[in-house]
Amino acid sequence: MELVERLTPSMRRVARMFVSTDAVADEVVQEAWVGVLQGLDRFEGRSSLRTWIFRILVNTAKTRGQREARSVPFATLAGDDLDEPTWDPTAFEPDGHWSSLPFDWRGLPEARLSGRETLAVIGRAIEALPPMQAEVIRLRDVLGWSSEEVRNALELTDTNQRVLLHRARAKVRVAVEMHLRSVSA
Amino acid sequence: MSTQIACRELLELISGYLDDALPHDVHAAVAAHLAGCDGCTTVLEEFRSTIEMTGMLTEEQITPGQRDTLLAAFRDWTG
Repeated sequence: MELVERLTPSMRRVARMFVSTDAVADEVVQEAWVGVLQGLDRFEGRSSLRTWIFRILVNTAKTRGQREARSVPFATLAGDDLDEPTWDPTAFEPDGHWSSLPFDWRGLPEARLSGRETLAVIGRAIEALPPMQAEVIRLRDVLGWSSEEVRNALELTDTNQRVLLHRARAKVRVAVEMHLRSVSA
Repeated sequence: MSTQIACRELLELISGYLDDALPHDVHAAVAAHLAGCDGCTTVLEEFRSTIEMTGMLTEEQITPGQRDTLLAAFRDWTG
């Protein structure tokens, strides 16, 4: 029960990427748990249990999405900005070095830095990300999964996992910068 | 071998660097660049601090207003 409670919020978000409504996503999660219970004796421990559960979930969700004739292109989930530069290109000289140094928030007091407001800003920034970027940063940086677990759970290549995570972290960093600039102005 | 990396390129490698996921020569080149570049070191530290703060979020803060019906359904289901 504890595992169900712990994994369900993430499972429902991941399921929702592939199906059309929250209600269908809930059904997918239930169906996936049934699959987990039925298949538990086939779990060989080659991946972590949660990774294995997520693979069942993702497969269930994809099958359900296909049945709904709703196939979501990877670019829609991942975001269409993966090939764009992380940083505003105008911050650099033609040779690729800084023309003006980046905003430095390291001198700010710890309380202001990681106070409730900043955390709320981070939460909102994550919500605003394309779904797959949001889920990768939630699993990696909020819930502390390893890159291997996330890659296996969400059926991503190593490169995709890394690019999605980097893109997500970069946008969250920008959101924090904007927030800290506004409160320290 | 020392590969020269420009700041603009280094910024694409920060997550890989922090996760220890870069090939050895690239990792070494990033470290060498950081040693002599204040701007990139600032950004690296800000990524680190962003990751740390992101880790302070709770499940509730990343899943606004739910956990309700489905969990209730499970409770009925598992008795």
